[in-house]
Amino acid sequence: MSLQQVVQPRPSANGFGRRRVEREMGSRLDSKPHSGKSNPNSFTIAGAPNGSKVGGYESPSRDWLIYLTTCLIGHHVEVQVKNGSSFSGIFHATNAEKDYGVILKMARLIKDGSFRGQKSLSESIGKPPSKTLIIPAKELVQIIAKGVPLSGDGLANGLQCEKRKDIMIDSLISHSHHVDVQRELERWTPVEDDLQLPELENIFDNPWNRNWDQFETNEALFGVKSTFDEELYTTKLERGPKMRELEREASRIAREIEGEETLDLHLAEERGFCFHEDFDIDEETRFSSVFRGVDDSGYEESEDTTLDSRNTETFGGSSGTVISRSFSDVARGRTDGAQASSSSLSMDEAQSSQSIASKDLHRLSSIDHAKQLTSDCVSKSGKSRMHENQFREQHGGKSYSTESTERKICRVGEETQTSKSEDKVGLSPSATAFAPSSSVSSKGQENASLVGSSDSIGAGTIKAVNSRGRSGSSTSSTSEFVAAPSASSGPGLSPSSSVGSLSSEKSSLNPNAKEFKLNPNAKSFMPSQTPLRPPSPVSEGSFYFPANVSAVPHMHTVPVGIGIAPSFGHQPVIYNPQATPVQSPQPYVHPNGPLYGQQMILGHPRQVLYMPSYPQASFGPAKLPP
Amino acid sequence: MAMDSSYGDEFAVGCFLSIKTTLGDEFEGQIITFDKLSNILVLQEGSKTGPRRNIRLLKANYIKDFTLLGQAEDPLDHKKCYLDLASLQAREEAAIRQAELEAVRIGVGVTSEAQSVFDALSKTLPVHWDKTVIVVMNEVRVSSPYLPENVIGGTPAANDRVKKVLEFERKRLHARGPSQ
Repeated sequence: MSLQQVVQPRPSANGFGRRRVEREMGSRLDSKPHSGKSNPNSFTIAGAPNGSKVGGYESPSRDWLIYLTTCLIGHHVEVQVKNGSSFSGIFHATNAEKDYGVILKMARLIKDGSFRGQKSLSESIGKPPSKTLIIPAKELVQIIAKGVPLSGDGLANGLQCEKRKDIMIDSLISHSHHVDVQRELERWTPVEDDLQLPELENIFDNPWNRNWDQFETNEALFGVKSTFDEELYTTKLERGPKMRELEREASRIAREIEGEETLDLHLAEERGFCFHEDFDIDEETRFSSVFRGVDDSGYEESEDTTLDSRNTETFGGSSGTVISRSFSDVARGRTDGAQASSSSLSMDEAQSSQSIASKDLHRLSSIDHAKQLTSDCVSKSGKSRMHENQFREQHGGKSYSTESTERKICRVGEETQTSKSEDKVGLSPSATAFAPSSSVSSKGQENASLVGSSDSIGAGTIKAVNSRGRSGSSTSSTSEFVAAPSASSGPGLSPSSSVGSLSSEKSSLNPNAKEFKLNPNAKSFMPSQTPLRPPSPVSEGSFYFPANVSAVPHMHTVPVGIGIAPSFGHQPVIYNPQATPVQSPQPYVHPNGPLYGQQMILGHPRQVLYMPSYPQASFGPAKLPP
Repeated sequence: MAMDSSYGDEFAVGCFLSIKTTLGDEFEGQIITFDKLSNILVLQEGSKTGPRRNIRLLKANYIKDFTLLGQAEDPLDHKKCYLDLASLQAREEAAIRQAELEAVRIGVGVTSEAQSVFDALSKTLPVHWDKTVIVVMNEVRVSSPYLPENVIGGTPAANDRVKKVLEFERKRLHARGPSQ
């Protein structure tokens, strides 16, 4: 029988070309062109629900055969034929009406039983599989299938498995049926000597006495001379008779700190407090460093630690930590650190500061002390940012005097701090006017002066806050100020910023500064793309905004060109779209204020957020593009 | 119905049989069903419990010899048997897709050694066949007998890399032994 061409269709084939399986092994069994005709419908798809297709034979056994055959569809099977050859392929269809022929897809010859002799399996691999292979009933001997889901559960699972297979998981992608045979894998058994490795066990026992000097070793092995000097990195220790006392004192302090209660999960864990047993805290909260800000429950004294850690977590960076710490110290009444911290405040991320600041801002009560800011604290960010902030604040709708302050702060932040004394002069003790006043005066100087003043103001505020014991908040505010000009929202608030210190490069904390109280309702930092934020409902809680901010005039100096209507006179800059002038010196902070910080990062003010109900005259020369 | 008496009651469902075929296969299994019309006996092999079974459809006329080992109940739970044609079709399509992907990897008319070289290279490099030439990264060609000397083409860097990989893989193949 010609095996190459389509043979005259056998009656049961319904016009199908049948191809004898038996052939010289070398021949390709690709019956593709003909198999194109192998429409499944010409065959009775085994298992078709309509049993009537089964040629009228109603034996139940037939039905079961149909059922089982259907279960095979799509499965890899091996079909053995009369001459002993075996084909492996995907079961496609069967002709169950009359006889039982089989159609396989992507079939391969895996065993050659023809007269040609047994060829090794590997040889046959060198041939591509036949797209479709029709095995006539007469040739069929047996079909073998492994792992066929036959009953309900299997089918359901099978479906899932198939679905899963479609997902290109790594193991699938890398899996190849032609995998090399790897070397024989043996289970590892520990060799006798391996058991005696004492060094490994006590390697952490005594860190100071490991009988190992890396420097020595390096020098010996590589001839590298070390220039390590411990004192370059840490405080010089006064070795001597006093050493023991100092050590004792130090460990006492350390113990004190480490034994502190903290609400922060991570710190608590470190210190061994298992306080979250009764909480339903998931893994993420426990082990992640992402601060979700949900637990801002308390603003007690102990909060500072929490806040510190949180801030550190959220914003990472040692700077943040440093700031936190320093402020914590301040809060605790130690002022030495404050300075250092302030200096280190030169921030990177306005965002971090902002978010923190926002919280802190809430807490900032009117700070009446002038703070000395470290000008270095001010980070220099793009002016635009600051401006943006300002805009944002305004737009936020509830910008209050704070905003102006913030703005100023921003600017301050951007510029290098060259606080002019004149700037400071303008600041009132109420501190609300911190930046504004100064900046106002120095219209021309703009940034410089602003920066300076803002710096001082901000710093002062922060410091003041700190001294209140709100280290946490202070930290945040500090960071805000320092970090980013955008932080302006926060920083500006510290009314008690000591203007006087603006001019000086040194920063000295104001011990009388009011403590910063964290507002538990403060919104956490949410980075957003839009620089502008629509006015959001004012959240409850104390809001701080610098009242009596004579900053109004100061607005003009805003290089951004945000027009601050001079009409505002002495009102604290309240850029409230509702145009409710805030008279009271009550610190008020726009709830969105802190959020502005985040947005301001965006670098350039986009829209004029400020929508005062005042005449348009308020808009400055520069009209920001919408 | 006329039926071959020799295949009568012995083929009751659930019986354990040991069968020898005319082609020399020997196996044991439990009868799931037997269709007299097509003369096909469906057996379940192995003691695998659970929804997935190894089954064998055997044309009864190829049974050379069989013995009844025992009898048990129907291995199929008739109540749980249903078909989901959609999933079956999906399964088939997925299998075909997979098989096609794999088919591309096979070189036509190449020796098994060449194929194993191809497979080894394909682990870390993008390769495909061009007749009997292994094309790596669309640049470098490795032709028979697939030795490092046969690596031609591509940028010097690519060429070197292919050479290195080829040497390494060949060493591995040899170390593994000639058996495959």
